[in-house]
Amino acid sequence: MAQYSVRIDRTFAAVSDPTRRGILQRLGRKDVSISDLAAAFDMTLTGIKKHVQVLEDAGLVTTQKIGRVRTCRAGPRRLEEEAAWIVKYQEMLEGRMTRLGEFLERTKGSST
Amino acid sequence: MKATGVPMQVSTPAEREIRIERIFDAPREKVWRAFTDPSLVAQWWGRGNKLVVERMEVERGGHWRFVEHSPEGVHGFEGRYREVRKPERIVQTFEWDGMPGHVIVETVTFEDLGDGRTKVINLSLFHTTEERDGMLHSGMEQGLAESYAALDVLLAKVS
Repeated sequence: MAQYSVRIDRTFAAVSDPTRRGILQRLGRKDVSISDLAAAFDMTLTGIKKHVQVLEDAGLVTTQKIGRVRTCRAGPRRLEEEAAWIVKYQEMLEGRMTRLGEFLERTKGSST
Repeated sequence: MKATGVPMQVSTPAEREIRIERIFDAPREKVWRAFTDPSLVAQWWGRGNKLVVERMEVERGGHWRFVEHSPEGVHGFEGRYREVRKPERIVQTFEWDGMPGHVIVETVTFEDLGDGRTKVINLSLFHTTEERDGMLHSGMEQGLAESYAALDVLLAKVS
């Protein structure tokens, strides 16, 4: 139970960031190098490495260095069904807040 | 698009909790209505997808059920209102048809900032499967113990 909680907490922390969710989505399709990720997310190598490290600590990503290229792939745990649902839920929640903001902006000044 | 207030703040303050905070450029009364009037909910809750509000009984114990029609399919969401304290707080349960039994408790707080803006804080608490099963188990045990106690009483009477 305690171990389970720690695992879920790491997952939570790992997927609470939109860049890290984006990385996981990409790795679901194919393996990607750190430099490709940096380019895709318009970030520095150092910045993207930090994100990959968090995902690696959570067991969601593994990396391997071949020559000068470090490649990332989906980790041994991948996303369990429940963790995947948490990610999905959070995306929905953020989407809803954004839409609500747009709705309130659109109807500004009116009584509804 | 014009930015509305500060961007969203997302954090995970405790175990299995997600907290999202955002300031809206609208009075609290109006934000409250956006959360509690079905015709208004239908305009934003589905994130651009068609939303059918099948049930929405905004009161303690009341049931809600929304069906979202997205390009990927039709998804049903439902739960019950645990607390409705106008205009400052709503506590409700949230379940998706696709993950039955995985109940999330959402606490939405509406803060009047006094300048025509409103801060909305959404705190979501996930119950893990193991935790849920544990509760179910202890609940069953207790139920069983009560049944046996009742049986004892009945047997004492008839003997």
